[in-house]
Amino acid sequence: MLICSTTLALTALLFSAPTVVDQAAEEHFEKKVWPLLQSKCLKCHSEIKPKGGLRLDFREGLLKGGDLGPAVVLGKPAETILLKVLDYKGDIQMPPSGKLTDAEIAVFRQWFDNNLAWKKGIKPGPTKVQAHEGKPKRIEAKDYWAYQPLEKVSPPAVKNSAWVKKPIDAFILSKLEAKGLQPAPPADPVSFLRRISYDLTGLPPTPAQIDLFVNDKSPEAVEKVIDRLLASPQYGEKWGRHWLDLVRFAETNGYERDGIKPFAWRYRDYVIGSFNQDKPFDRFVREQIAGDELPSRLDSKEDADRIIATGYHRLGIWDDEPADPLQARFDEYDDLVATTCQVFLGMTMNCARCHDHKIDPIPQKDYYRFLAFFADIGKFSNDRNPFSATSLTDITPLEKRKLFEGEVEARKKKIAEIEVELKRIQDIGISRMSGEDKDAAMANDREAVINAKLKGVLNAEENKEYNKFKKEHGELKKQKPPESQEFALSVNQCRVKPDPIKLLIRGNPHSPGEPVTPGFPSVIATAEPNIPEIKPGAKTSGRRGVLADWIVGPENRLTSRVFVNRIWQHHFGRGIVATTNDFGQFGESPTHPELLDWLANDFVAGGWKVKRLHKLILLSSVYQSAGTAVEGVSQLAANSDPANTLLWKFPMRRLSAEEVRDSMLFASGNLNEAMGGPSVYPPIPPEVLAGQSVPGQGWPTTQGPEANRRSIYVHVKRSLQLPILSQHDQADTDSSCPVRYTTVVPTQALGLLNSAFTQEQAGVFAKRLLREAPASLLDRLILANRITTGRPPSAEQQKADKALISDLMTVHGMSSDNALRQFCLVALNANEFLFLD
Amino acid sequence: MNNLPNQFCRRTRREFLWESGGGFGAAALSGMLGENFFSKQARAVDGSILVNPMAAKKAISDSKAKAVIFLFMYGGPSQVDTFDYKPNLYPLDGKSIQVKTFGRGGHRNQGRVVGPKWAFKPKGQCGKMISDLFPNLGTCADDIAFIHSMYAESPIHGSAMLMMNSGRVLSGHPALGSWVTYGLGSENQNLPGFVVMLDSTGGPISGPKNWASGYMPAAYQGTVIKADKHPILHLQPPKDLTESAQRRLLDTLNQRNQAHMATRPDNSELAARIASYELAFQMQTHAPEVVDFSKESKKTLDEYGVNEKRTSDFGRKCLLARRLVERGVRFIQLYSGGAHNDDNWDAHTDIVSNHTKHAGNTDRPIAALLRDLKQRGMLDSTIVVWGGEFGRQPTAEYAQGTGRDHNAYGFTMWMAGGGIKGGISVGETDELGGAAVKDRFHVKNLHATILNRMGLDPNRLSYFYGGLDQKLVGVEPVEPIHQIMA
Repeated sequence: MLICSTTLALTALLFSAPTVVDQAAEEHFEKKVWPLLQSKCLKCHSEIKPKGGLRLDFREGLLKGGDLGPAVVLGKPAETILLKVLDYKGDIQMPPSGKLTDAEIAVFRQWFDNNLAWKKGIKPGPTKVQAHEGKPKRIEAKDYWAYQPLEKVSPPAVKNSAWVKKPIDAFILSKLEAKGLQPAPPADPVSFLRRISYDLTGLPPTPAQIDLFVNDKSPEAVEKVIDRLLASPQYGEKWGRHWLDLVRFAETNGYERDGIKPFAWRYRDYVIGSFNQDKPFDRFVREQIAGDELPSRLDSKEDADRIIATGYHRLGIWDDEPADPLQARFDEYDDLVATTCQVFLGMTMNCARCHDHKIDPIPQKDYYRFLAFFADIGKFSNDRNPFSATSLTDITPLEKRKLFEGEVEARKKKIAEIEVELKRIQDIGISRMSGEDKDAAMANDREAVINAKLKGVLNAEENKEYNKFKKEHGELKKQKPPESQEFALSVNQCRVKPDPIKLLIRGNPHSPGEPVTPGFPSVIATAEPNIPEIKPGAKTSGRRGVLADWIVGPENRLTSRVFVNRIWQHHFGRGIVATTNDFGQFGESPTHPELLDWLANDFVAGGWKVKRLHKLILLSSVYQSAGTAVEGVSQLAANSDPANTLLWKFPMRRLSAEEVRDSMLFASGNLNEAMGGPSVYPPIPPEVLAGQSVPGQGWPTTQGPEANRRSIYVHVKRSLQLPILSQHDQADTDSSCPVRYTTVVPTQALGLLNSAFTQEQAGVFAKRLLREAPASLLDRLILANRITTGRPPSAEQQKADKALISDLMTVHGMSSDNALRQFCLVALNANEFLFLD
Repeated sequence: MNNLPNQFCRRTRREFLWESGGGFGAAALSGMLGENFFSKQARAVDGSILVNPMAAKKAISDSKAKAVIFLFMYGGPSQVDTFDYKPNLYPLDGKSIQVKTFGRGGHRNQGRVVGPKWAFKPKGQCGKMISDLFPNLGTCADDIAFIHSMYAESPIHGSAMLMMNSGRVLSGHPALGSWVTYGLGSENQNLPGFVVMLDSTGGPISGPKNWASGYMPAAYQGTVIKADKHPILHLQPPKDLTESAQRRLLDTLNQRNQAHMATRPDNSELAARIASYELAFQMQTHAPEVVDFSKESKKTLDEYGVNEKRTSDFGRKCLLARRLVERGVRFIQLYSGGAHNDDNWDAHTDIVSNHTKHAGNTDRPIAALLRDLKQRGMLDSTIVVWGGEFGRQPTAEYAQGTGRDHNAYGFTMWMAGGGIKGGISVGETDELGGAAVKDRFHVKNLHATILNRMGLDPNRLSYFYGGLDQKLVGVEPVEPIHQIMA
């Protein structure tokens, strides 16, 4: 068999070679064409990963071609892509390093005229084969854990069963025991209360709450605390922020104007509210992907929520002035595909935009099929105005609606009338213009032509009339909506029958390929999507609802795993799968795969209830274990598992950016705990504003107590951040942020020592101490420590603190108030304040 | 810890985590606090620790260049009025011609030629034709490589700035300076490794996005530094706190933090944070010293134009740039022009007044910088880059006047210094100077050249994010501009 097929292949080669051997043509190829191919083409178009599927290192390769079809059609120069791309005029220009010289192009043309004469004996492939970097070994999809159905697992048997409070513990302990490691002992009550308070609310416990907990000796003490914290409204503010990181939440669009996303704050409040209400996660997903397709509810608040939720689709960056509008359109879609697949499915579908995924089983076609689910969503705005009918929906409650409807209708009618008049006069003008201008006006440049030339072709009378209408039109348009009207950032004016989505060759929107229908990622799809018939009066294509149903459907293997992994991540600082947005083969393997499946099964069986999942985790021994090192035990564990992936102790963490700022305000007593509503703009130093092209633009500074709201209510402007937040690794807003970095840089220390913000908080904190502990300095030192760390200071620290205050007064000549203020600054900079055990 | 830089560059995220995380036992502490202690640490995507993102790393290839000074002519200088000599354009002045242009005013097929408004004269031994806008810079022609065939993907400021600074028209990617410091770290841990100096009129469009580190840790973002007494944000302690009193505070803080760390010896972040306060304290001393020009000679100050009103602002910045390079700072970006309209090179209405102003403010300082670097033997190890986010059109934007619209089809940039040939010009625009036609170079080729000359491989320097090995130059391999490489 083997011999036979080799012979066949050889025969085929011989017959495809030119029958008439033209020596001059062969020589032209050998001396001129081949060296050019070598130096300009074969790096990308030969045997190793040929770009666009095209090989130029053997004759058949050119004739067969790649993604774009044959590179050369013999005898037909107009159909020969090779010649076109060399001209550097179309969308595809080759070689990418720069246009060839005219002489070099002539070499190729001559070769084409020679019918691609090849020299016998020249072997395919680049002469110097580049060393190829080792790639991670690819595991077949059928064997890859993330694509398998969830396993029904039972907690493993363990030796030290006394440690097992919850099934979770068995999974953790069994891995530790296998390594001969012991889990850490329980955390002390104060450390535990600080940990869980920050974990669930982003704020520390008050001294009174600490006393209550430490003195509660009942077996339910921990559970009571968990219930209290989960029921507190601050819970939604903390966990809502995790979600906002994922969905690239921001309140502006980025780019030159970085204009606002109107009413984005309603989406933020919706997220906080959803966590606080313990909305089942499947409902939460459906509302964001396709809330507008869900049935209307009688409760107007709930009904508004399902519209506000679709703001999810509107949170990405948006260029109001793109150089290539079609490209920008597909960049908007890419934002939706990338975010949705990473956030809900842990899939990096975005890698398949230009070619098949490099390692995961995601063909390029899957990308465009997935994109097709979103095809009914229009651009963020059809012009440069961020207040766009495609992105805003009127959600005014019925009772309020009556108040303004008449007014709005009358205005709309008037605007429409004026637009008819404007068009009439413009048409008169255009009819008098040159042929070229007429053509331009007929095409896309109507507005530009009118702006530039209309005035010149109208007579004085006409101009006067035109300007009158124009002015009136502008004023009507500018009028603000009535106060009682309420809007949501959302999808709106969706296309009921969207244009077909086509696969884009190499991701280039100017090279459309075959049309595709909506489809789920093929590696985990068990059936084709069933898009319902469009019913009369439909406002959307109905596709997103189908997608949402599939994401949370029983067949989906990823959604529940991905979400429980995120909850785990934010309790333990690291997911069971560390790369929480990427469950593919470039990501990390799960440290406890059985636990992941157990949690996911339990979560779905429990009705996708998030608070239930928290409680399950928080009641475990592993969550309640100590975070500090224990002599002997820890040394062994540290040697065998230095990264603590097995959780032999609780992982310490630094406060997040929001927690740093909120905790300072909390300590000083300045924190304004009001919830919800439009965002606030705390002061930003002038040096930072100076970096803007118009310093202060888009940042109307908030003064007074409103500036001291929790950080989740600080306006999220893509091009300008509060220094204390950005320095402490606030989420980047331009794409999904699954994990915050924790950096330590000296500029953080400068900010926490010298900034106006911390200086102010230190001063207010000192006044609070004087107010609440008037009796003695010692009382004040103790109170300060209890507020910032949960504990009274050690005897040694008391001594040091007293010495500091005394030195500042005697050696450095400070007043006692000032010395106390400086002491407060130290307290707000201490590691014990900024880190959790 | 294996810190070979070539491995660093090639590492996938997974390997990177493993190696850095794996090296971090309790034993690491003592080594960390040695004299090589690094100022910056970061945590990676899974919570494991990236060791010292800013530690100086060796380049993968032998390279002379150790630092970059990017002179950003924000707004877009006109190539035909500066370095791209088009003799045939002068006589066409005022004539309407067929030419395809694309600027903020959209696509056009015809326009009124605005002839170059300055005469060009041969300069240096190479005889390079340079406009009268640059009498001083002209004397450095033999040290400069001009690239006349640059092109970019957008003629709109916002996206074009992102393109020139981060290689993409899409927001969210790390800046060139972030990539260079990611690949090479910085030599001086008492100063930021990636520094940005703004024009006195304000920042450029999109502001801090132009020096953001995107999906990389914030340690790699640019730090704005000013050429005055308070160069860095929050550098100055409050007025009522003397240095000795602040020292006293820091001693107490240190004591507290040491006691806290004693029972948590395996958490290296605690140690890093303790050290960061010492570094911050040192920065308060070091940074003002960098901007203290009192030890510079009068001759030097005069050459940079520091004592002349017109050139003082940019002159101070250029001098500061040299002083930063001397102190081991890796990447310095200087903005000529800020804010909007004629506060920068964006000459929409009157090319003569606009370019007279901006060239006049910068010509002498830039020439002084090149000469000064050269005479101190620093030019060989410093790459100087000059240019804007795009160029300008050969035709007028409006019916009246000499203003030119944006043009990304073709424009000129120049490079000098580390590993770059002097006295040469590469690439050509068409005879109107409107579009690059010969040896065209994308912005990515420029970026690749800078990385290559710094000893990094532009097609390998990658950062794993969003499922991809992200690169400054993108997925497709990009060649550096070989013609200008020494």
